[in-house]
This record gives sequence, structure tokens and C-alpha cells, in this order.
Amino acid sequence: MMQKLLFTICLSTAGFAAQAQVDTVRATTLPPAQVAEKYYNSGVAKFNQKSYQAALQDFDQAIKTKADFGKAYYNRAATRYELKQYGPAVQDYNQAIQLEPTSFTAWYGRAQAKQALGENDGAEQDYGKTAELKPDYAPAWYYRGDLRFEKGDYQAALADFTAAIKADPKYAYAYHDRGSAQRQLGNYAAAVQDYSEALRLQPELEVALLNRAAAKRRQNDAKGALADYNAYLGHHTDNPVAYLGRGQARFEAGDYKAAADDFSKALELKPGYALALNNRAAAKLKLEDFKGAEADATAAIQQNAQYAEAYLNRGHIREMLRNPAGACADWRKAADLGIEAGKSYAAASGCE
Amino acid sequence: MISVPTPAFRAVKITTSKWPRSLGAFLAALLLAYSASAQNQNIEFTKDQFNGDKEGLKTALKEIKLGNEWYDTDPPRYEQALPHYLAAQQFNPNNALLNFRIGACYLGSGGLKAKSLPYLQKAQQLNPQVDERLHYLLGRALHLNAKWTEAIAEYKAAQPPAGLKDANARQNDINKKIAECQSGMALQKNAARVFIDNVGPNVNSSAADYGPVITADESVMLFTSRRQGGVGDDKDPETGGYFEDIWQSVRNADGTWQQARNLGTNVNTKGHDAVVALAPDGQRLITYVEDGAGDLHEASLKGAEWKKPQQLGRRINGGQSHEPSAAYTPNGRMLYFVSNGSPKSNRGGHDIWRIDIEGRGDAENLGPVINTPFNEDGIFVHPDGKTIYFSSEGHNSMGGYDIFKSEWKNGQWTKPENLGWPINTPDDDVFFVLSASGRHGYYSSTREEDGLGSRDIYQITFLGPEKPPVLSGEDQLLASRAAPLRETLLAPPVAIASAQVTILKGTVTDADSKQPIEATIDLVDNSLAQTIASFTSNAQSGRYLVSLPSGTNYGIVVRKEGYLFHSENFDLPQGAAYSEVVKDIPLKKLDVGAKVVLNNIFFDFDKATLRKESTAELQRLVQLMTTEYPSLRIEISGHTDNVGKAEYNKDLSQRRAKAVVDYLTGKGVAAARLTSAGYGDTQPVATNNTKEGRQLNRRTEFKVLSK
Repeated sequence: MMQKLLFTICLSTAGFAAQAQVDTVRATTLPPAQVAEKYYNSGVAKFNQKSYQAALQDFDQAIKTKADFGKAYYNRAATRYELKQYGPAVQDYNQAIQLEPTSFTAWYGRAQAKQALGENDGAEQDYGKTAELKPDYAPAWYYRGDLRFEKGDYQAALADFTAAIKADPKYAYAYHDRGSAQRQLGNYAAAVQDYSEALRLQPELEVALLNRAAAKRRQNDAKGALADYNAYLGHHTDNPVAYLGRGQARFEAGDYKAAADDFSKALELKPGYALALNNRAAAKLKLEDFKGAEADATAAIQQNAQYAEAYLNRGHIREMLRNPAGACADWRKAADLGIEAGKSYAAASGCE
Repeated sequence: MISVPTPAFRAVKITTSKWPRSLGAFLAALLLAYSASAQNQNIEFTKDQFNGDKEGLKTALKEIKLGNEWYDTDPPRYEQALPHYLAAQQFNPNNALLNFRIGACYLGSGGLKAKSLPYLQKAQQLNPQVDERLHYLLGRALHLNAKWTEAIAEYKAAQPPAGLKDANARQNDINKKIAECQSGMALQKNAARVFIDNVGPNVNSSAADYGPVITADESVMLFTSRRQGGVGDDKDPETGGYFEDIWQSVRNADGTWQQARNLGTNVNTKGHDAVVALAPDGQRLITYVEDGAGDLHEASLKGAEWKKPQQLGRRINGGQSHEPSAAYTPNGRMLYFVSNGSPKSNRGGHDIWRIDIEGRGDAENLGPVINTPFNEDGIFVHPDGKTIYFSSEGHNSMGGYDIFKSEWKNGQWTKPENLGWPINTPDDDVFFVLSASGRHGYYSSTREEDGLGSRDIYQITFLGPEKPPVLSGEDQLLASRAAPLRETLLAPPVAIASAQVTILKGTVTDADSKQPIEATIDLVDNSLAQTIASFTSNAQSGRYLVSLPSGTNYGIVVRKEGYLFHSENFDLPQGAAYSEVVKDIPLKKLDVGAKVVLNNIFFDFDKATLRKESTAELQRLVQLMTTEYPSLRIEISGHTDNVGKAEYNKDLSQRRAKAVVDYLTGKGVAAARLTSAGYGDTQPVATNNTKEGRQLNRRTEFKVLSK
């Protein structure tokens, strides 16, 4: 279709339509000026060299020259996406979709751009359309699954991840995220299994170790969890989140001293890490270092004035520091911030 | 009259029958024991040992004698014996028997039992055989210091000698003590979350203060004290301390207690007066008075004044029985009390009973869930009316009395629950009351770290079950967020043929008539010297168009019979960009004087050497001269641009023209038909001021000299 079109343009532009018979066969394959295509191809080359700004200018020229150049709109959208110009990217994808409504890639691209804009509902729909146009394109299912996961619709997310795995049985990310959906649904054994499969398919996807550890913790498999954290930390000693996780596992295993050490390590890597401060406060409470615990909880609250858990914990700490007024105020604040237990703690402790 | 110990001080009785009773026997024991002078060896109180200090020895022996007098009474007066023994100990701390006795005195005295341990350990070190009761007393001392495992070991070593009359009783006692240690170990592991605070010097004195009772709202506390300044401001000749009196303190709004004041002569007598219970509303109180075997009396408050307590009557107080404790129910109708006297009680020791004060019926034993074969005491009924707190030597006590809690649920008492460590200790823990809120309890205890002397009243703050701290986690649950992948699906480049093609187009005309000519256009690959394709220009318009894919050095020859051929060169390297070239070609008739530029003859740079790409053009010339026009005479001329010296340019152009001529003669063209000429830069066809112009000026031409 396109080829024929080009041929026609070529003849009319060159002005040989009438004399085609004398211009030999070779002449019939001749292209038109193809200025738009030249710009377009130059844009593609520049895009591939990551010269996005220059690529953008080329695609601009291509579109200027040829207003119905669908691929140019599409690629300009992709370029704008790279330049984080998500709004204009969506505009271009709109044009591309209008010109080529069955191009699944345009739907997919627009989904990504909408997602980047935070228009998750629109993105979800576009991923859905992509999956409809091309059911064997696993990323469409996968990313829709992620959006549904983030909405808290874990069951629907689970179904999408399963569809992604069906489309691409070696899709480690889809296994990983399905593991997470299982975990959110309370199916820890299934979660552990999916994380393990993700790791088997893609051993470098080590975030799966951390998540598998967390799932094992919820299975009360402290030993297994610690093994995963240790495996992860054997490779990455610079991730405060991993130390935070292992600290939790150690805490749950009753090893408060080692837990506090891990939280300290997390804080070394990420000074002012509010979660680590809060957790270390909890460990110090257990270790009966009440003053140190209070200082940590206070520091966590300084980092995040809405940190309900830190208020709750500081309430416990202040109770032990014989500061009932302070404890009551903290429990109440925790309750105000959404931890209901704060109220009952205050009531049980005779707060007035 | 005051021969029965006061409620709080029913100390564990230590059997002394096997111990030396007299000074003579004691001295004999001292002499019999082996003597040694080295440290940690037993040193006797003898002249041999203390030759240089006869006075000191004499004084020490005197103190021992005085101590023994108290020690050997029945029952022994350990508290009175102790200061004498300690004085002798100052003189000689390394006597096994003295150390043993000091340990025994501490164990037998009111609040300092735990202090016995170092003396008994020393005694064992100096002489393991100092007394057959050593293991048992060491077990007690270790037990009281909460050294559970060591205590169990000593108890196990304290097997009573065979044939003793009370061997069974002793064995049972040892078994119970071992069980207590096991309970203690378990309870200590799961300590109760409490703060225990001394209620302060406004309530507590340096003397013994104990037996606190409170109103439900904790606004008033009554307690018993053996301090100086009471109504019976005199010392009890039996026990040495001041007589007991009941005192009262009122709580301030900030939670502190006001200075205690004596309850006055209506309630307190010259003898022992101890408070037992206070109604939740504070309007009635029960006292313990040592009349007969010890009975309960009740007083009521009229305005600010307590009326004189009245005996509670025979339904409660047995003639020969001991009633040391009682508690009101919240509605005031029922009274719980402790008695050892009812023939209906088959559970041994003191039990807890309940009676309808206003009714006529008999008291009711609380039954086997609460009452054990051992003693119960210190009953307290919580203002909720269904929870009782009491002390017991049975159940899972960790030693002596422990405080227990039980609830009336579904028509029965729940299994008593030990309030646990650190409220309960291996020693006696009796008399516990609890505020209506359940937040605070009060009891008396001997605690070295914050005591004000002897027993003191403490407030227990119950923290309730442990409040679990909440940890925060951070998870990256989505792989695409944790390790984002770029998945841009860029549309691929479109196929553009133009990028590789040069379009050459134009019109072929007769140079003279300007009429279009149908000419043949040969496309020659110069490097291969081959004609790739041939086209024809349109007969009517003379138009032609050829497409030249990049990557070839093209020679284009436009030819027609009777015309001089036209030669064009397009060297299009691989990847040459698309371009369109319009080239109108006027073909000249093959007439004398006609000239054509040989665009496809190439020389090496600055040389007259023909390059191989020239072959096709040269062969065309050969064909022209041999086949087509065998009589044609031509001139081959070389031309240059004006760069460089004129002579040099002329010479180079001459040599290059000659090279072409030489080629032709070499191919059989008669030299006579060929002329060569080098014109240098003298015949430019274009300006020399531009690169393009100079290019045109560098050329090889041929001119028809004759046909």
C-alpha cells in the first residue's frame, strides 16, 4: 500500500507519468523527494544516539513536511517521552493513533506517557487496548497489572501478571510482581514461589531476594528470611532498605541488638532515614535503652511530622521513661494520625 | 498478751532443735572444729589465735554469749541475737559457726533474709560440716536471692538424716521449696510490666510501715506503722520495735501523699493496732487486735472522727482462731476474711472465707480453687466486686507468700494467677490492694535500692501487657519500579530509496537546431569498464531520466548516429545522499571543429598516468576511430585550471594528452590521425575563481580535425 503510494507520488513529482513507457523499468521504482522521510530517518538515527533534542527537531520537520506522517508523530511522541515532555507526547500519540488506529505500539506508548503523567486510569485503558490488539505482547498485561496493583486491586493485578506470563513464560518481572500480588493477598507460600521463579529466570533481579525475605518473614520463617537478606547484602552493601529489612527480621527473631545494628547501618547509608530511626527506637525500647530510643523516635518525627508509628513508639518509650503526660500525648497523636491502638493505649494507661 | 506475731511478720520458722543451745555447747563446738590460721580457714575464738588481743577476745566471746541467749530461746529471737553476733564477727570474720549463725539469724528475721547468703557461703567455705542444716539454709538463702538453680542444687543436697522423726515433713518441705524455685524461674522469665515506687517519706518511716489500704479512688491511705510517736509510744519487749499503730495519709492532686498522721486514740491503743481493710468509700475500717488468738474489729467514720472499733462477733472471730485479714465487698454487705479456726476447713492453715455481714448464716469457705493446704492471707476485694487478690504459700508461689488474683466467673473462681515477678519475690508478699482503676496497687516490701528503712509501702503501677512497638518497612514490590526497564518501541526508519540514488535527468537536443533527439544513453560502470544499462531519451521531448544507485563511478554516454558522443561522469560513493541533477545535453553533429570533453578519462593526481577507470571511455574512442569513422582525424588536448605555474600546467596537460594518444595508437589507431596538444590554463571553459569552475577547466578534450 505504502509502496504503491510512493510510486505514484514519485511519478507525478518527477512529471513522467505520461512518458512512463519510455523511461524504462528502473524509472518506475524511483522515489519522490521524500524530504519528510529523510528527516524522519535522521530523527530515528539521532534518537538511537540518544540525541533526543536533535531527534525532536527532525521529527518536527518531518511532520511539517508531511502532516499525515503517522510514524513521525509516533516517534516524536517517543522522543518527547524521553525528554519527559509527557503531555505533548500524549498529544502526538493521539495523532499517531488517529492515523493508525490499529498500531498497538501507539496505544502502548500513550499508556506509558499517561502513566508518567499520573493519569493512571487512562493508562490502564490504553494498556488494555494494547493487550486487546496484541494479546501476546506481555508488557501490556504486565504494566496494566502494575497499575491495578497500585490501585490495591491485587486480584485483578494477579490475573494480568498471569496473562503476561502466559504471553511470555520467561518474563521474570511478571513473576516477581505476581509474587507481590500474592503477598498482598496473604498467599505467602505462592509469593515465595513466584519470587523464586523470578530469581531463577533473572538472577540479577535481586529485589526479589528482599521481597522473598519479607514474604518469608510473614510466614514466620525468620531463618529463611535472614538467609535471603544475607544473600542480598552479600552483593549490595549500599542499600539502606536491605538493612532495614534485615533489621526487622532480626527484631522479629528477638535479636534486638543485631536489629539495632542493622538500623544503624541503614542510617549510616542514608542519614536521617526516618524508618530506620523509628525501627531503631523500637529496638532500643526492647533493649531498655529508653533515652536512646526516645532520641531516635524524636528524630524520626522531626523527619516526618505525620509519622504515626514513631509517635506510637515514642508513647511506649515515654511510658517507660516515667513521662505519662508525654506518653499520653504521643499515643493520642498516633491515634489522630490513624493508628487506632493509640486510643486504647491511652485509655489503658489512665491518660486524662 | 502479745505473744502471737503481728500479721505482717509471721516469719518462716526455722527448726533449731539440732543446734547447740548453750554457750558451753557452742564453745565445745568451736573447740571441736579444726583450727587453722590461713585465710579462708576456720579461725576459733581462742587465746592461741588472739594472743595479742585478750580484751578483744573477751569482748567478742561476751557478744557471742549474749547472742546465744536470744538465739537459744524458744522461739529463737534472731533479730535480737543478730547485733551481738555481728559485733563478734567484727573481731573475727573467719569462724564457720559464727558465720552460720549470722546467716541463720538473717534468715529468721523480718526483712533482711536475703542478707544471709554471704555468711552462709562463708560458713560453707570455712567448714562444710559446720552444721547438718547448712545445705538447707544455703538453699533458703540462695532461694531468697532468686538464685533458683543454685538453690535447687542445695535443696537437693539437704537430704534429712535417716531416722529423724520429722524426716518426711522435712522432705516434703524440701520438695515444695524446689517447686517454688521452679515456679520462680518460670515467672521471672515472664516478668510483669510494672513500676514499683516507694510512696515516699511522708508515708514511710525508718521503722516498719506496711499493710496499706486505700479508698477506691486512692484519695486516702491507712497503713500500719511501728514508728515512734504513736499512741502506744513504747517498745514491744517481745520484738524490740515500737507497738503498731494505724496511720493515715491523704493524697494530693498531683499524686503525692501528705504527711501521715496517727489515727488517734479512738482507734489506736497502747498495744498493737493494725489496719486490715477499708471500705471502698472510706467510711468503715477493720482492724486487727490481738485479743485472744487475734480478732477483727470494725470502726466507722463519723464526720472526721473514727469511732472506737468493735469486735466483729463470733460469726467471724473464732475463740481460738486467728483472723488476720478481711475485705469488704463494694456494696458493703459481704465480708471476706481469713481464719485458721473453722472445724469445717479441711484445707490446713489459714483459709479465705466469706460471710454475709447482715445475715445469720455461717461463713463459707471459698473452696479448693482458692484455698490450699498451705496458708492463705491478705484478702482484698477489688471495687469491681468480682476480682479478689490474696496471698498464698501454695499454688505456684515462688517462695513464702505470693500475691494471686482470681475472678468470679460463670459461678466459679478462676484458677489463681500469680501476679508475677517482680511484684512477687521469693520472700513473703502479703497485703496487696488495688485501686478501682486497676492502674495502681499498694503493698509493702523491703527493697534495698529505694527503701527508707525496714519495710516500706510501695505503689505498683501496672503497665498492662507489653505494648508492642511498630516497625516500619519499605518494600519495592513492583519490579518495574525497583529496576525500571526502558521499553520504548520506536518506529523503525522508513525505507527511503532516495537516500542511495542520484537522479540524473534532462533533455537531449541537437546542439544546433535545439530539437529534441532520441539518443541512446549508456550507463557505464567505470571501474569495471562495463555498460550496465542503456536507455533512450524520448523521441518527442528529448527527455531522459536515469537513476544512479550510489556506490559506483558512473560514466554516462549519450550517443546518436551522426553526432559526437557526450560523456558525463558521476562518481557516487556508497551512501551518497539523494540528489537530483538536471543535465540538458546538446549533442553536436560530428563536424570538423566540433569538440567534446572526455569526462571519463582519469589521471593519477599530478601525473600523466591513466587510471584504469578511464578504460571504458578510451575503448569508446578506439571504437569511434576504428569501426565507426576509420578516417577521422582528431586532436586530443589537455587543459588545466590556473593553479600552479603556467609552464608546469602546460607541460602536464601536454603529457596527459599524449598519454591518451599513446593509448589509442597502442590499440591500432594510426598515429597520423592523432594529434596531441597541451594548452595548460589558456583555454578555460569556466571561471577559475570557484572550485566548480576549476573542476570544469581541468579536462581532456577531443576535437574533430577532419572526417
